[in-house]
Amino acid sequence: MSVVDSMSLPNDDAPVLEAPKRSRRGKYNAKEVGLAFVFLLPSLAVFSVFFYLPFARLLSWGTYESVRGGASYNPVGLDQYKDVLGGDEFRQGLWHSLQFVLYTVPAGLILGTLLAVAAHRRLKGIKVFQAIFSSTLASSVAVSSVIFFFLFNPAVGFFQVSWQSDPDMAMFAAALPAIWQNLGLAFVIVLAGLQAVPDEVMEAARLDGYGAWRRLTRITLPLISPVLMFLLVILVIYGFQAFAQIDIITKGGPGGASETLVFKIFKQTQDYGKGAVLSVGLFFVTLVVTFFQFAILDRRVHYGDE
Amino acid sequence: MATSEGNATLRMGQSPARKTAGTAGQYLALGLLSLLVLGPIGLTVIQALSPPFTYVAQGRPLHPVAVSWQDRTWFTGGIASLAFRTVIVLLLFAWLQKVASGVSFREKAFYVPSRIVAVVGGTVVLALAMGPVFQSLFEADGNTLVVVLLAMALVAATQLWGYWTAEHRTPVGAVVMALFTGFGLVGLAVLFVAPTVWTLAWTRYNLGPAMGRSFVMTIIVTVLQVSTATMAAYAFVFLRFPFKRILFALFMATLLLPLEVTLVGNVATIRQLGWTDTMQALVLPFGAAALGTFLIRQGFRGLPTEIQDATRLDGYGHIAFLTKFAVPLTRPVIAAFTVISALSAWNQYLWPRAITETNSFNTLQIQLRLASASEVANANQAIAAALVAAVPVILLLIAFQRQIIRGLTAGAVK
Repeated sequence: MSVVDSMSLPNDDAPVLEAPKRSRRGKYNAKEVGLAFVFLLPSLAVFSVFFYLPFARLLSWGTYESVRGGASYNPVGLDQYKDVLGGDEFRQGLWHSLQFVLYTVPAGLILGTLLAVAAHRRLKGIKVFQAIFSSTLASSVAVSSVIFFFLFNPAVGFFQVSWQSDPDMAMFAAALPAIWQNLGLAFVIVLAGLQAVPDEVMEAARLDGYGAWRRLTRITLPLISPVLMFLLVILVIYGFQAFAQIDIITKGGPGGASETLVFKIFKQTQDYGKGAVLSVGLFFVTLVVTFFQFAILDRRVHYGDE
Repeated sequence: MATSEGNATLRMGQSPARKTAGTAGQYLALGLLSLLVLGPIGLTVIQALSPPFTYVAQGRPLHPVAVSWQDRTWFTGGIASLAFRTVIVLLLFAWLQKVASGVSFREKAFYVPSRIVAVVGGTVVLALAMGPVFQSLFEADGNTLVVVLLAMALVAATQLWGYWTAEHRTPVGAVVMALFTGFGLVGLAVLFVAPTVWTLAWTRYNLGPAMGRSFVMTIIVTVLQVSTATMAAYAFVFLRFPFKRILFALFMATLLLPLEVTLVGNVATIRQLGWTDTMQALVLPFGAAALGTFLIRQGFRGLPTEIQDATRLDGYGHIAFLTKFAVPLTRPVIAAFTVISALSAWNQYLWPRAITETNSFNTLQIQLRLASASEVANANQAIAAALVAAVPVILLLIAFQRQIIRGLTAGAVK
């Protein structure tokens, strides 16, 4: 949601609320400027210390290579960036993150739409079903991961998935709790989209003899496509940021087969040089993914009033 | 309304039987989808109630084997845990009445005698009726089924009047709802109060202190985020100062720096400050939120210009305008952000995991990881711990459903 909001920023103009007589640009009231400073200072302090400073440090640490596990650091210029970002470890981490995204995102979109379409109707007691469908919002990543850790546990689970020995199953096992946990979020978002579609539109389609399936594919889905895109962006970003599922279920194994980019970064919090390069890599990946999605999807998505 | 009338005209040609079949089909589909969503939880509860060695030996049983029940009544245990389970039951009754009547807790119309009887009476009757049920389970005296059915009937009876008075509800509907409520609440009480596993998990994995730590962290983060975001949003909307657009861009740019990206740098900072395993390390990086600033700014921008003009003429300064007008008038937006902020602080995993070096300063989420990493022999207790840990958020979801949904969908729908 954050990224969508930020994308619409550049269009925002000067504030709506202005003093009745607007003074010329460059003329400021000292008291107002002082108050603004006081109001912005806490946020700016946090952002400087915990957002900009670490990012700046990461950029520079990337040019230092650790010696003897972080005992000292050698300046190596951009070589470390080249080695790590072009190396197998980064590629593997990226591939595993991508796998996680491929497992969780389509499932989230399809199941979320299915649940929302099923629960968007006038029936007695529909509120109860809506509450049930949104109930997975109540589970945290840790809770859902522990639940699925035991549900699919190779030793004691109902469904025994061999994630400890089978590299292909490991990533899938880690994705399951995310798929389940995203159900609530996806449902709530798609339902909000469906509720925003005017009843008259559906009624007109019904009178024109459109069947339920054609109404869904020709009218409902195109109309809620902005909402689906919003959901897609959130799910992809969640997918790339996933950590708890892997930390709790597969612990990166077997043999690193489920180490995503974030998991590799977490493992490198001792080696600042390499960890920094991987972090910068993740930064560009998320940046590219976000803009790529908008570039492709923006054109295909139907926006109501254009 | 237009739709339902349209339905009526369109369906005039349909036979009543076909219409009934269609409705039944819809309920069937909804029921199956509910199973998909709740299935994992149901199976997990069964796992939590099953002693692990037995179920390993027996393969994968679909029912609990020999649940160990506590020797207790509803009123056994400390005052805190008693108050906790009683409040949960009270909230559930109230929520069901709310769903049935469609009247929100905020409206005075909710507090009519029939609903107050249902909520308070239901809680009292349930608490009293569970005593014999628990005793019967513990002693395995063979009367359990009778006692349970009796308790369900008594609880259902207390709900009848409340459901009856709900608008557009037929008598049959009210009876069915009441029976389901009795069945559900007594069932929940049997599953979640009577077995020993929940209290065992609570003490074994030290969930109390971990939960307390998570609570403190959540409250501090939420208060910090809401206040810093409100102040910053106010400055961006109502104050004139140089470099406004650049500063705003700087705020929003932090959205491109998620914690996953800055983790290595932030962990280094915390280590240099010697703040590992401290509360300030848990909360300070989340002390400000660009998303909150953005949302509250949108809320402030929606206020009519006349309000500020009028208050200015009346001699209100900025602080008075902020606290007496701007914040109260944008309360829905601020409330939605508050709940979302609390939810994400509570669920925080990566950051507490990275800056906690001894298990003595684990938040609840990290404590769960520890539980699941312990030996498989106690799998049921670790599972129980996960379910116990979900309870506070379930309550939050029930109490603030509207705000949470508004916060999550902000930006999705214009």
